[in-house]
Amino acid sequence: MDRRDFLKISGLAGATAALEGCGNPDHQLIRFIPEEDLIPGIATSKPSICTLCPAGCGLIVRVMQGEAEVTRDGRLGLLKMGLAKKLEGNPAHPINQGKLCPRGQAGLQVTYHPDRLKGPLGRVGPRGQGQFGEMTWDTALRQLVSQLSDLQLSNQESGLALITPPLRGQKKTIFDAFANHYKKPLFVESAFFGDEVIRAANAASFGQALPPTLDLAQSNYVLSFGADFLGTWNSPVAQAIGYGHMRTGRPGQRAKFVQFEQRISQTGASADEWIFVQPGTEGLLALALAHVIMAEKLRPAAAAGHAGSLIDGWSQALPDYAPEEIAERTSVKAETISRLAREAAAHGPAVAVAGNAATAQTNGLFNALAVNALSALLGSVGQPGGITFSPAPAIKESSLSLEILASQLNSGAAPVKVLLLYGANPVFTAPLAWGLRAALDKVPFIASFSNFMDETTALADLILPDHSPLESWLDDLPVSGSTRTIVSVAPPAMKPLHDTRATPDVLLDVAHQLGGDLAKALPWRTYDEAIQTSFAALYKEKGSKTAKDADQFWTKAQEQGGWWSAESNAAPVSARGAPGAAGKAAAPHFDGEANDYPFHFVPFASQLFFDGSLANLPWMQEVPDPLTTVMWGTWVELNPRAAQKLSIQQGDLLEVSSPHGKLRAPALINPGISPDVVAMPVGQGHEHFTRYASRRGANPVSILSPLSIEGTHSFAWAATRVKLSVAGRGKPTLFGASLREASAELEHR
Amino acid sequence: MAHHWGMVIDLDRCTGCEACVVACRAENNIQTVGEDQAARSRAKHWIRVERYYEGEFPDVKVKFQPVLCQQCDAAPCEPVCPTFASYHTAEGLNGQIYNRCIGTRYCANACPYNVRFFNFYNPVWDKPLHLQLNPDVSVRSVGVMEKCTFCVQRIKAAEVQAEAEKRPLKDGEIRPACVQSCPPTALVFGDLNDPESEASGLANSRRSTKLLEELGTRPKVTYLQRDSWHASENA
Amino acid sequence: MKLGSLDRYSYLVATLGCITLALAAARARLSAQRTNASPQQAAAEVFTPAHPTVYEAVREFLGVRSNPVQPIAYTHKVHLANGMQCTQCHVGVDEGPDARIPSVNFCMTCHQVIATDKPEIKRLAGYKARGEDVPWQRVYNFEPSAHLKFNHAPHIRAGVDCSVCHGDMKQQTVAERKVDLTMGFCINCHQQKSVSVDCVTCHF
Repeated sequence: MDRRDFLKISGLAGATAALEGCGNPDHQLIRFIPEEDLIPGIATSKPSICTLCPAGCGLIVRVMQGEAEVTRDGRLGLLKMGLAKKLEGNPAHPINQGKLCPRGQAGLQVTYHPDRLKGPLGRVGPRGQGQFGEMTWDTALRQLVSQLSDLQLSNQESGLALITPPLRGQKKTIFDAFANHYKKPLFVESAFFGDEVIRAANAASFGQALPPTLDLAQSNYVLSFGADFLGTWNSPVAQAIGYGHMRTGRPGQRAKFVQFEQRISQTGASADEWIFVQPGTEGLLALALAHVIMAEKLRPAAAAGHAGSLIDGWSQALPDYAPEEIAERTSVKAETISRLAREAAAHGPAVAVAGNAATAQTNGLFNALAVNALSALLGSVGQPGGITFSPAPAIKESSLSLEILASQLNSGAAPVKVLLLYGANPVFTAPLAWGLRAALDKVPFIASFSNFMDETTALADLILPDHSPLESWLDDLPVSGSTRTIVSVAPPAMKPLHDTRATPDVLLDVAHQLGGDLAKALPWRTYDEAIQTSFAALYKEKGSKTAKDADQFWTKAQEQGGWWSAESNAAPVSARGAPGAAGKAAAPHFDGEANDYPFHFVPFASQLFFDGSLANLPWMQEVPDPLTTVMWGTWVELNPRAAQKLSIQQGDLLEVSSPHGKLRAPALINPGISPDVVAMPVGQGHEHFTRYASRRGANPVSILSPLSIEGTHSFAWAATRVKLSVAGRGKPTLFGASLREASAELEHR
Repeated sequence: MAHHWGMVIDLDRCTGCEACVVACRAENNIQTVGEDQAARSRAKHWIRVERYYEGEFPDVKVKFQPVLCQQCDAAPCEPVCPTFASYHTAEGLNGQIYNRCIGTRYCANACPYNVRFFNFYNPVWDKPLHLQLNPDVSVRSVGVMEKCTFCVQRIKAAEVQAEAEKRPLKDGEIRPACVQSCPPTALVFGDLNDPESEASGLANSRRSTKLLEELGTRPKVTYLQRDSWHASENA
Repeated sequence: MKLGSLDRYSYLVATLGCITLALAAARARLSAQRTNASPQQAAAEVFTPAHPTVYEAVREFLGVRSNPVQPIAYTHKVHLANGMQCTQCHVGVDEGPDARIPSVNFCMTCHQVIATDKPEIKRLAGYKARGEDVPWQRVYNFEPSAHLKFNHAPHIRAGVDCSVCHGDMKQQTVAERKVDLTMGFCINCHQQKSVSVDCVTCHF
């Protein structure tokens, strides 16, 4: 080679570095005048709220000056601005008290994600091809206003549909006002790992349509029926804080924790006793424990109050639930049932909770009611160390689910003309059997507020990307995790990086343009005005020891991250719950004959991806799954004996077939799962979801059977059966290279 | 007396959630290596959660153990470094000086805990993910070894602040990122030379144990074994 | 080339060629890490401590620096002669690690009335009018490979005068590296003042 080629190749060797290198301003981007008065190197702490799961933990954001590439007035340049560098728990916030879970920590990557949608987009080309063109906000808003004003305000259905997660705070106020302005809107507020069943059970048993707030710090005995309370269920950080204290925070006293499930979850791994229970029989087991307690007169039957009376046969001390009768159906030995019952009754405060797969069977409501009755019998409801309820307003039950919406769209029963999508990715969280994808094709106009291109947003006609949470005004009314009255609020921690707009602000703007009653119902110009109104009302109601007027109250709340009562305001447990709940023993139903589909299929919430909404974050892809150490992939877990029977080896690519679909994923041999069960994490298998998650792995939700939980509109996602076959060789990326057995040298006890 | 930093990890509290793992990589500019490099065992987790399985279904027990640099007082990584990039600081930390490191990787070879990670390539961040990088911590370049530093940047910042305010450091004032985030408060950091510190107190528990202590590394991370439940004690 | 008669120059070219090929291959593997990126995405920028070219890497290794070109001929001499203090502009130097370089807004608070006829001030006003900040070029920094975290505040609090490291600014117009800020320079002063010379004091 000659000198020219040599220099050419050496010029290629290296990727682009930061632009500061060359020392000549003519070769660099222009610098915009800083809009904030920041000193480089010095961090400020700003409060915020975590929005990645329903717990509603409080954050402290560490903000420092940095230089970001932004566009101002069509020019690209560098701007010195405050950048969020690290998230911590807010020490003052009653829910998480300064702590933060792994997902909360990773929330930072949402703001800086390279594939965030940077401005409004409009569809060009056929739907589903993924071709979008940029547009200005003015054009985008005009389009949305025109579509909404076209909706007939007649006596029939207006044709408006909305899909969001369960909303709280002033966001709910705004969305509700919007929806209710139109006749018969189809407003679906749902989450895949939602808690509708637990709320329905708590409403019936305790008169509180809320998930429970556990006082684990003072518990002495915990019976968990499938609830992943240290990982993904309910308010994980608050529960983990209590758990730590429950274990070693009280010298001389250490609580016992028993977990009943089919597959050792991250929570189950910490149990003192982990006990396999047949899928769907958690309710039977809970009542067998109750039977022993009542039969041996360890607690009076009346102690269970209304919660107990809901269960068929309670007043006769549950004659059908003797351990010997129940043992075979649950696969829990009768002696074990008797022993645990005695232990729990003797070591109060004792508490029982149900969640995850146990409440996602077709008899999930019965299971939850049974566990509630057991908790009530043990005397811990409304007591220290037991179950209490937040004073937050009860969540109204929705009569509309994604499944119902899909079926109405497909049958033509619901003429939806405009669909608004916010914070939801229903194409991913709906099984193929619901036909949701086809249903969406019937909707003439879909607008999405998502800040990422995901598989549902890829079907939209108009995309009006939201700010990331750290760039937004936020408010929240957490529904569990603390018995104090809490209203969280936080101003944006940093200025927007891209040409995005806060969705509540967009809705307020649209409402203003539509005028009429809607504009009257939503008089605010921006979201912070709406939140301020709610705080003015709060000040009027609660008063304040430190703030002398509403303005000062509002300022202080923003500085602190919210307002919370100094004392606990636990909501009372009412004896008059909703009547007519399903207290009759219901056996679980599974889809797929056992002969053809020998395995129970248990999809579970991933500690890292939750319901898949966090799979786009590279930190979450690279952090190993707590139990399997898998990174950047997905897997199907099965028991070593089951694997041996089918000649499946670690890493084999398996085809998992249900009566409603099939998928492929590598096998992972796991001793902590029943031989009759296979499990798969939810989160991977996105068709579109940024460069880090697109077409990576498989989505277990897609093959689930469309069964419902009796007595509710909820999806029984744990009720599918599958069969397995080997389809080739795969190789999951494991951090640990292999699952290790504890050897004698490493044995610490 | 000079500080002697150590940590106590209570395995009876640890739930294996890995909040520490993510907090650490956020604080310390740890690169995400991507699927291919991770498959070659090059993922950098300065703190990781080991999981151990015992037994056969249904009597399976799982144990979690967070493992990070043990800042050994007799660190095997120190004598093998030809350039003194790995050395013992005056406050008991095992310092890793990136500009001295020439990438021989003898230290990683000698470390029995597998807590040292090498930069086989210059790390890359897809913009604008790089805006999250912590200005208080170096961004390591290719050819350099890295590992947990007990968040020495936080230690230094607290020491500078205490000096500016002309007061001694308070116990609990310094919390590495992992310690700060841990929801069940399984991780405790403190001065082992201060008998009043929480870390010193916990390190003397009946449940204390150290990882691979028999190798003579004198690790400064004390693990408190998972306890068991005895009906009689808790009646 | 005849075998057996390769001269030293050919060996040099061949070795360098191999190294370059290896670097190019390394870079290709580096790009391959970012899987799932579409071609448009791959063309978007990444941040990396890698040097853009081998030439730049060699320059850093040898400690060769170019003199930065300042957009405006700022003169410390004149400002200091008029009684200004360092910390009026370089805010933060006694609180944290960095000394702030003020934005054009700060300069204009005086210069919208002072010396407005001077050509450099007109240029300054031009930046402000265009909504741009003055693109001051960095003069003081440590090589990235030093992996150094210098903290101004303890030095200011200890009474170290700015001129000790930055030279006598009363004699400088634009800032220039008048003092050779080698590690030896730092260590000498630390040893004289009995301050820690533990590596991890600065290198982390």
